Amino acid sequence: MIITTVFSIIITMNGYSLEHLITAVVAGQNDRAVSIAEVLLKNGTSPESLIQDGLTVALRSLDAKCTAEEFNLLEIMLAGRAMMTVMDNVIATHLLSSSTIEPVPEKTIIIGTIKGDIHELGKNVVKMMLKAQGLRVIDIGKDASPESFVKAAMLESARFIGVSSLITLTMPFIREIRPLLNDTGLDNVKILAGGAAIQQASPSDLNVDFVAQDVFDAVHYLNGLTS
Amino acid sequence: MTSYERVLNTIEGKGIDRVSAAPEIFGLSARINGYTIKQYVTDAQTLALCQIKSQQVFGCDIVFAFADTALEAEAVGCRLYYPDNAYPYIVDHIIKTSKDIDKLKIPDPFRDGRMPLVVEACRSMHNELKDDCVVTACVPGPISLAAQLSGLETFMFLIADDLDSVEKILNFSEDVIMRYAEALLKSGAHSIMLFDPVASPAVVPPSVFKDLEAPRLKRMTDALRAMGSKFLWLSIAGATQKILPLFSGIGIDLATVDYVVPISDAIRLTEGVIINGNIKPLSFVTAQPDEIKQIAINCLNEAKGRFILGSGCEMPLESKPENIGALIDAAVSSPL
Ligand code: B12
Repeated sequence: MIITTVFSIIITMNGYSLEHLITAVVAGQNDRAVSIAEVLLKNGTSPESLIQDGLTVALRSLDAKCTAEEFNLLEIMLAGRAMMTVMDNVIATHLLSSSTIEPVPEKTIIIGTIKGDIHELGKNVVKMMLKAQGLRVIDIGKDASPESFVKAAMLESARFIGVSSLITLTMPFIREIRPLLNDTGLDNVKILAGGAAIQQASPSDLNVDFVAQDVFDAVHYLNGLTS
Repeated sequence: MTSYERVLNTIEGKGIDRVSAAPEIFGLSARINGYTIKQYVTDAQTLALCQIKSQQVFGCDIVFAFADTALEAEAVGCRLYYPDNAYPYIVDHIIKTSKDIDKLKIPDPFRDGRMPLVVEACRSMHNELKDDCVVTACVPGPISLAAQLSGLETFMFLIADDLDSVEKILNFSEDVIMRYAEALLKSGAHSIMLFDPVASPAVVPPSVFKDLEAPRLKRMTDALRAMGSKFLWLSIAGATQKILPLFSGIGIDLATVDYVVPISDAIRLTEGVIINGNIKPLSFVTAQPDEIKQIAINCLNEAKGRFILGSGCEMPLESKPENIGALIDAAVSSPL
């Protein structure tokens, strides 16, 4: 009790709260977000709380702001960059080996752009957003073969695979992932797909569990499964 | 009426015998004619031959002098990777920091990279088709080339962090494009298409299009017209509703819209500009020809004139060839 009181006094003295961190991240203010996060940590906010009550809340708030008509990619990228900078420069140095993101299958997703396609921006936005949701995201890059998705899922004990593609030509490769998973005994791995061209297709066209219209659509789907 | 007359009359608002049809058939023409994409983008005669043959088989009103979206960046100095049967892509962007910008040199279209290849293909197509069919050469818009030179993510962050550098890269890109376009026009292209996918609101905010791209496009279309381009065409994919009202002020005659923009909206928002579009790319792969014909007829009915039927986006490489036929058939068989 006494400790918490002292704590809030310090926070007020420094003038920073988690609210300030959230505002800075949403506004994409990189340097400001980093200095606020440093002060908060120094004053006793736990790294977990910084992620959960600060960074995650910030990126989630973009969800409400971004409708189909009002989708500002740059805004999302800037907020994502601010979040990642705080993660890499502040939180990582405090956590050292003790990762807050447990390497459990339910929280692990393999993400990549499928063979034949090199569009990466959408995949990177999704990666960032899922990290903000507390998921462990393993990025296997672009032009990635169906086998490499399955291999990574096996090695990393992932429960999810996220496939990105913006050109229709890649659809046959996406369809190969499910049978490869089944052959490997990974029947319970769920496949999500997204990206400008394949979002025109249905889950059955692609032999996947879910086709996301945008990144928030995927977040809702995953939250529905993991909660 | 020749294809050339049909398209030009449409642009000029004169009489036509039927609606023109100009789907964006690029690498698909290689696939149809039994060539790999690598052959198509590295050999002028293959490119010209595939375009001419597809035109003869399907009766499209426009052929395209265009290889891929990495060609101009390669001529500036970006390193590419060439898969055997897919478009090449950039593996090393030439602009890594703002210091690199001042070192860039404008390529010579008759000498550098694969620019001479497209210049030569233009000449071959014009020689073969004479003035019966329109030869349109495609060049990138400044934002799209700039994003290729620096890499898309770097470019996006530069917009937020360093507008001076963005302006510099855009100015350089504009110079590269204009010099290349001039060579293409001199070598037989009737018109220029500005292919500007990165300028889409799906990628950059509409304010960036308004402040940074639109003034450049206007300057470019004025100059290109003076160089002899019979008409100017702008192609931007994605939900472009927010920027369409600016189109009537940037000197273009024709604008392609993607399937996510209803044709009636496009016509309403772009006074004086002719619309080209707009079928879901995936349907060329999955739908049957009679469905494509029906979708195309719906487009024609929605447009009610001042329209060129097209695909709205590059036609996927694995499109069924019959579906090109179905699209053209809709234009041929529909009453005006
Ligand atoms: C940028 C871009 C490029 C850049 C890519 C740079 C990079 N490193 O990513 C460059 C210039 C290199 C490029 C190249 C090509 N491109 Co391109 N490109 C685009 C463009 C302009 C924007 C794509 C983008 O980044 N959007 C922004 C991101 C954030 O959106 P997104 O990817 O859809 O992602 C969102 C959702 O879909 C979802 N999502 C995405 N992935 C995933 C994954 C999962 C798991 C989940 C859950 C969700 C999800 O979340 C994201 C955020 O909401 C589009 C046109 C447009 N205006 O949309 C064309 C476009 C996609 N390209 C196209 C084409 C054809 C090509 C080329 C083949 C062109 C050519 N002829 O050479 C080459 C590809 C070569 C190859 N082998 O892949 C076509 C595809 C059409 C089709 N018929 O299939 C488009 C539509 C342009 C057009 N008008 O023709 N391109």
